[in-house]
Amino acid sequence: MLHTKIVNSKDTKLLINQAENFISSSNFGASIIFTGTVRNQNNNQTVTGITYDSHDELVIKSFKEIYNDSDQKLNIQDKSVFIEHAKGYLELGEISIIIAVACKHRDEAYVLSRYIIEEIKKRSPIWKKEHYANNESAWLKGNPILHEKN
Amino acid sequence: MKIKIELYGASRDFSNQSFLDFEVDKNSTIKDIRNKLIDYLDEKFSGNENYKKIVNSSAFCSADDNIVSDNYKITSNEKIAIIPPIGGG
Repeated sequence: MLHTKIVNSKDTKLLINQAENFISSSNFGASIIFTGTVRNQNNNQTVTGITYDSHDELVIKSFKEIYNDSDQKLNIQDKSVFIEHAKGYLELGEISIIIAVACKHRDEAYVLSRYIIEEIKKRSPIWKKEHYANNESAWLKGNPILHEKN
Repeated sequence: MKIKIELYGASRDFSNQSFLDFEVDKNSTIKDIRNKLIDYLDEKFSGNENYKKIVNSSAFCSADDNIVSDNYKITSNEKIAIIPPIGGG
C-alpha cells in the first residue's frame, strides 16, 4: 500500500496522525515515522525559513518508482508506505517531509525508511530556497537528478 | 516552432515568470534548448556564470514527465521543464 502527496503549505500542513492512520495495520509488527523539519542553521548561516519548490508530477512518479524498486532491491514486498512532501514556504520547525513505513519486522522497517529518504534525495525533483536572518536568500546547490537515460 | 520552458528551483531566477518562451527550429533537440538558454542568459544577465552552470548541470523533462537526454527531439508547442540539481527532504 502506498500513499503519496505534495502538500502546498498555503493550503495545509503535513500531519503525522494521517501517516499513523494510513500505515496502521495488524499485518505489520514494526512501524517507523520519519519527519524532516526546517532547522535554524545551515553552512554557518542563520536560517529563518525555507521555500520548497517541486515538479509535482515527476516527484509523485519518483515516489512510486522508489516504492516499487524496494520490492526488488530490498526484497520487501509486504509493506505500507506513506510519503508526503511540502511545497511553498515553511517556518522553522515545520515538517517538510513525512515518510511512514510499516513492515512485518523491525529490520525491514529501518532499512526501508532509510532507503526511501536517500532515494528521494537522489531522484525526486524538489528544491530548497533558504531564507536568512540578514534578509538574503539562496537556492541550495543540490545534485544532478539520477535517472535512466532514454 | 514555439516551445515553453518551465522553470524550477534555481532556474526560477531566470525570469519573473515561471516559464520562458522560445522560438526554435523544427527538429530541435534538448541540446539546442540548452544552447538557446545560454544565449538568453548571455543577453539578459550578461553571461552570469552561475546561471550558466545551472543550465549545464540541469536535466530536462518532457511534457509526458520523462527525463530526456540531450538528443531528444522536441515537438511543436511542447512544454519542457528544466530540472536543476535537486535536494529535497
